[in-house]
Amino acid sequence: MSHYEAPIREPLVLGEKSYHDITEDIARPIEGKANRNWYIAFYIALAAMLWGFGAIFYTVGTGIGVWGLSKNIGWAWDITNFVWWVGIGHAGTLISAVLLLFRQKWRMAINRSAEAMTIFAVFQAGLFPIIHMGRPWNGYWVLPIPNQFGSLWVNFNSPLLWDVFAISTYLSVSLVFWWTGLLPDFAMIRDRAVKPFQKKIYALLSFGWSGRAKDWQRFEEVSLVLAGLATPLVLSVHTIVSMDFATSINPGWHSTIFPPYFVAGAIFSGFAMVQTLLGIMRKVTNLEDYITRLHIEYMNIVIILTGGIVAVAYGTEFFIAWYTGSPYENYTYLSVGAATGPYGWAFWSLIFFNILTPQILWFKKIRRSFVWSFVISIMINIGMWFERFDIIAIVLSKGHLPSTWWRFEPTFVDVAIFIGTIGFFFVLFLLYARTFPVIAQAEVKTIMKSSGQHYKQLRAEGKHGINKGFITSKQKVVKTNISSDGSQLEKINILFKTIGVFNKETDIADDLKLISGVGPKLEGVLNSIGIYSFVQVSKMTITEYNLLDNITGTFPGRAERDDWSGQAKNLLNG
Amino acid sequence: MASNKKYWQSVEELKESSIVETLSKDEFVEEIPTEAFLGDKETLENSATSRRDFLKYVGFTTAAASLAACEGPVRKSIPYVIQPDNITVGEADWYATTMADGFDFANVLVKTREGRPIQIMPNKDANGTTNARIQASVLSLYDEKLRATDPSKEDTIISWKQADKAILAKLNTLKEANKPVVLLTGTLASPSTEKIIADFITVYPNVKHVIYDAVSESGTLDAFETMYGKRTLPNYHFDKAEVIVSIGADFLGDWQGGFEKSYVDGRNPKSGKMSYHVQLESNMSLTGANADKRVIVKPSDQVYALINLYNKITGANLPSKKTPADKEIAKVSKALQKAGSKGVVVTGINDKNAQLVAFAINKALQSDVMDVQNTLNIRQGNDNDIAQLVADVKSGKVSGVISYNVNPVYSLSNSKDFESGLKKLALSVAMSVVYDDTAKASTYTLPMPHYLESWGDVKITASSYGLMQPTINPLFNTRQFQDALLQWSGNKITYSDYLKEFATSTILTDKSWNKALHDGFSTQEVVSEVSENEVNISQVVANLNRATKPSTYEMNLYVSGQLGDGKQANNPWLQELPDAITKASWDNYLTISMADAKELEFSNPVKDNGAIDGNYANVTINGVTIKNIPVMVQPGQAKGSVGLALGYGRTFGLKKEMQVGVNAYAFYKNGKNLQYGVTIEKADGWHKFACTQVQKTIAGRHDILRVATLNEYLHIDPRDHKNGWNTPFMVSYDHKEVEGSKIDLWEEHNREIGHHFNLSIDLTSCTGCGSCIIACHAENNVPVVGKQEVRVGRDMHWLRIDRYYSSEVATRKEADQLREEGKLSRAEMYKALETEAENPEVTFQPMMCQHCNHAPCETVCPVAATSHGRQGQNQMAYNRCVGTRYCANNCPYRVRRFNWFQYSNNNEFDFNMNDDYGKMVLNPDVVVRSRGVMEKCSMCIQMTQATILKAKKENREVKANEFQTACSAACTTGAMVFGDINNKEDKIVALKEDKRAFYVLDAIGTKPNVVYQVKVVNKNEA
Repeated sequence: MSHYEAPIREPLVLGEKSYHDITEDIARPIEGKANRNWYIAFYIALAAMLWGFGAIFYTVGTGIGVWGLSKNIGWAWDITNFVWWVGIGHAGTLISAVLLLFRQKWRMAINRSAEAMTIFAVFQAGLFPIIHMGRPWNGYWVLPIPNQFGSLWVNFNSPLLWDVFAISTYLSVSLVFWWTGLLPDFAMIRDRAVKPFQKKIYALLSFGWSGRAKDWQRFEEVSLVLAGLATPLVLSVHTIVSMDFATSINPGWHSTIFPPYFVAGAIFSGFAMVQTLLGIMRKVTNLEDYITRLHIEYMNIVIILTGGIVAVAYGTEFFIAWYTGSPYENYTYLSVGAATGPYGWAFWSLIFFNILTPQILWFKKIRRSFVWSFVISIMINIGMWFERFDIIAIVLSKGHLPSTWWRFEPTFVDVAIFIGTIGFFFVLFLLYARTFPVIAQAEVKTIMKSSGQHYKQLRAEGKHGINKGFITSKQKVVKTNISSDGSQLEKINILFKTIGVFNKETDIADDLKLISGVGPKLEGVLNSIGIYSFVQVSKMTITEYNLLDNITGTFPGRAERDDWSGQAKNLLNG
Repeated sequence: MASNKKYWQSVEELKESSIVETLSKDEFVEEIPTEAFLGDKETLENSATSRRDFLKYVGFTTAAASLAACEGPVRKSIPYVIQPDNITVGEADWYATTMADGFDFANVLVKTREGRPIQIMPNKDANGTTNARIQASVLSLYDEKLRATDPSKEDTIISWKQADKAILAKLNTLKEANKPVVLLTGTLASPSTEKIIADFITVYPNVKHVIYDAVSESGTLDAFETMYGKRTLPNYHFDKAEVIVSIGADFLGDWQGGFEKSYVDGRNPKSGKMSYHVQLESNMSLTGANADKRVIVKPSDQVYALINLYNKITGANLPSKKTPADKEIAKVSKALQKAGSKGVVVTGINDKNAQLVAFAINKALQSDVMDVQNTLNIRQGNDNDIAQLVADVKSGKVSGVISYNVNPVYSLSNSKDFESGLKKLALSVAMSVVYDDTAKASTYTLPMPHYLESWGDVKITASSYGLMQPTINPLFNTRQFQDALLQWSGNKITYSDYLKEFATSTILTDKSWNKALHDGFSTQEVVSEVSENEVNISQVVANLNRATKPSTYEMNLYVSGQLGDGKQANNPWLQELPDAITKASWDNYLTISMADAKELEFSNPVKDNGAIDGNYANVTINGVTIKNIPVMVQPGQAKGSVGLALGYGRTFGLKKEMQVGVNAYAFYKNGKNLQYGVTIEKADGWHKFACTQVQKTIAGRHDILRVATLNEYLHIDPRDHKNGWNTPFMVSYDHKEVEGSKIDLWEEHNREIGHHFNLSIDLTSCTGCGSCIIACHAENNVPVVGKQEVRVGRDMHWLRIDRYYSSEVATRKEADQLREEGKLSRAEMYKALETEAENPEVTFQPMMCQHCNHAPCETVCPVAATSHGRQGQNQMAYNRCVGTRYCANNCPYRVRRFNWFQYSNNNEFDFNMNDDYGKMVLNPDVVVRSRGVMEKCSMCIQMTQATILKAKKENREVKANEFQTACSAACTTGAMVFGDINNKEDKIVALKEDKRAFYVLDAIGTKPNVVYQVKVVNKNEA
């Protein structure tokens, strides 16, 4: 692609990847064997899933009475979980569709998994409306299909029916979109597959992708069309889910702010879940080079934004509850009544997790930290669960008539089903991680030349003539902790005059770690400057050593002490 | 079935011809043309049935067969083999009869379907009233588990013949030896039975008749006898009263006289006159909840207050003590004196002397309200006789006890003495409807029919003669008590004939037997039998003072509106009925004041699942200790007093679920309902209560339930913006202030065509008795769900009665003001509004589906299972319901009930819907709901449709006020009025337009079809 990206931007793909490296990296988890950790995680998830399924069968076989619901609280964990999962399912489509339309290239490393997460989350979400029915075996009655029940038809006034349409549409569009993106990647796996059975399966999955220009053209077009279709869905699904509440007459539900607020909340929680999942995945599947600090930071920025919208919505709700002076509004889920009532703990959890915790992402250090992001994302997930719980349980617990005030306590079945869906979700996700190309490698390859670290560096070196004219002394060409002022660059140039430039295309990089005193870290530093080969090191003298110390600022005098140059010469001769 | 007859199908067969033989050999008469099909290829090809067709047929039949196999199970209803002449299938028959079980007495109408009684309604022509127990008594008929089904001797079933023979032999031996035998019965109030007993005693002169009331009114009876020369209860016409002062008398609750009708009749604000009712009591009783002014007075102070009142009224100066209620006594004595003969004082203290003082006050007032002529016969027991009997049984002075319809082994305070004595007697016979503790302890048990299977007569008051007639053939091998006595005295006549003869010859001398039987009653001229005797009141007061021993803690034993004396403790409807005041079901408990609870560290925490827990207490009175009584902190309970309901704690023979509560009869020594010298000790552990309502106050939401004083009602415009007591909800529309309920987003349906049903509920007239709940239960096959399910908020009552206490901060306005003055923070204000007062005012609000014309439930159902009917009803199509419960969440009144489990045919819910007898009470017009579907009040659509069809069949229009629902028909006080607003003659039309009419939560715009009437209380301001 003739996409130009400013060299001052951080690269999106680290680690000097070549096209082939990417293919290898992506295909590795599929072609290789799963490690111990994967199996441990999988069995835990499977156990949770089976426990949840057991609880679901128990519910369906015995009656909804095995849950903690009552005459006054007809929904609690079921719909909380439903909305929570639907919300989580929002980030995927936003990343793949909206960011596609906005040409955000950083989406490419994460969109596949985000979409997978969306689809798996919607599966979980879709379970709840079915099993929460008193007679789930009649669940198909909510579909407007011709029937033998006389003139019976669905009730188009009901937001629950809108939900049926919204969720099923969302699921099908997401699925198609996801699959379309998978086609070239499946084809890649197919072409690499050795075992005939695997080849057969991936051949089927890739729908006969041949990689012709026509294929690519259609691929682009369909992606664009689907992105156009999916974008409104990002807004509509949670809008409609919010209408389950907003169109009712319960104070605290009956609120016009709900649609935008729910959508923001959904993206908020969806991104948090993407953070959680990718935080794990980049470690487990060695994708550190593709899912970088930059990705984490971008997602954290989205989280701050949507979290801010949510916070403002909370404020509005609280204000309205106070401003109306209505005794009914005073007991809504965001009100003084709620803050001081029996569900005060849930109210304050919500405030803490959803409003206060994301604020520390304003600090760049934290928002670029993998650990912090992971912890905060989990907290947001908890907070968003509480948001839905508060909306449902607090509102229903304080109905219009005080005689109907009641409380909710989950039974073990409620808990088991929730845990079970988390297990189910991870079972799907773990299976996905072992069988699907988890990064849209075809797409990532399109940005290699503009945002791959290797190419950026080449440009910085003025090689290959890519965008030569744009490199100025002010631009940052080397990563790591080397400051990027003009004098540094000059020093590098002086250094290279003596030791010579390493050409990645023609020369072969040596393992600098063989030099005693050079560890992986130092090797990285050297590489980042442009020192890759023993030849280069062997040409170094005391001048170069000083120059190097000057540039890196680390380990002064070390090269001289260890006589790198001498070692390198030996290594060359040996 | 062995028979030598031979049957033949034809003459040929008879002749044993060869054709028959051949035929019998072959399965088919004609040969099957298999040859044409098989083997011969040519014919096969030419056959009309090709292979292709064959496959088609096979395919079709397989598909059809498997499809047919998918059908749900079919249940066959079996028609009558022989249709009874007087039963039309599908049509209900009504019989008038009279209930008399020794505790509850009432003229009732019984609805039977296909020969099964399924519902009890008050016989309003006979001024009959029903309470919850009377309504529920129909289910006790079908209590197979507890009922005595066959005569038995020490647990072995014997025949009636054997029983008669054995018992007669014993009786005769005892007669010859002149050993005393006691015939122990409950209050019968039956002239014919009394005659039969008298005849029996002439045959067996060694027999003595003793009457035993488990819940005693002996004090009143003694007092009345002393003052008026007749052992009977005075009657009260509360409708004539201007001032009612009740000192511990729960005349709406545990006086079984059906006083609620006359009480409510005397409190009609429209007439401009309402009685002023002051209640001085220690427990929060149903009557106290209805009072205009309620003063909390502990039991000993009640006695002194009574004497103080006497002193004030008569100017006497009899010895007494100061009480906290003296200020109120002074005020109310003035009111009483002003009212004169329109004033009345009643007391519930079961003590002869206390009652005499009350009678004396009424005498001094020359009260018209107290009626000493048309007296009540519903209690006749004598505490002294019973005490003597127990002593005699224990000492063996008595040789035989024949008990009828009483359970002293359960209900005596010293029942262990009685039981051990009873077991040693030469003759012990229990004639009982149920196989209870006493039957178990007696040698012989003779099963008696339920009153719905019996003949009889009951004289509830002096002026009425009620008849009892069977409404079903006896279910079990039973024989009536009267029949048994007749037989044993050598009389060959059956009781039904005896009754007819007796009634026509002595009571219905100039009246038709048939008419009386049809009506269920006949009114009698009251012959004055009373004589007024002078009573030395100072002596009485001296005795009273001596008997009263104030102590730190005193107990007031009472009977609950659910179980009464405990006769129907195995009735799941009654067990599940929440108490009118505490809203607790399936329990009795120690009610304790908030102040005492604080001192003794008792509390009722609300658990996370919404349910209420309570501490346990060990209570000791006079050396008798009951351990682990659950404690309920009761607003309005007098400090230093506790309350405990009788009738609970029965275990023998009861289903496990019904074995709830503690047996308070242990404290009920000599029938004294006030007990002094109570010690209370906290015990370990938490009791799990099953309350249907947790929040006690209305939390400042005064548009839910409106109350006005009589003064306001009479003199202030209800719609006045500032001071109005029934202001509508206003909105700005087209820049004008308009009533919110008149605004609509869309064009209204024309509701003026056909019928349009409305229900009016008068909060002034509703006493909270709960008989409507049971009537609804019976009419609509509402399932019983058991204690645990009620506890977690899953009772299925279609109709509930919300009970609200007032908070210390009475109004929201007041709370706002306090907050603005900085005295309360906002959070504190909520607390203040949510916390009940120490002595709160109480309001009841029956709540059921409001049948909103703009129903929030209807729009949200995805499958349109709930929708609006043309006649105003919000209808529920159970078959269509998938159970999303959105409708329940969106119902601001929270009246929808979900079938969390399968409640019928489920051993987990072993109540009446789980056994064949219990199911006989089901109303065949109403479906039994399966699990997973929503249900709710239907405004008894089966009843309104039946009324319409009946009118259609009779080729007429539906008459005014002909439409009824179960609740409105059961409501004795007339608080609930149901009708068709398109029939201008219906009462409902005026009620809808009444200035007291309001809609609950009308600001939401639901436009309900249930209209409430503002509660009016008389603050005696004028």
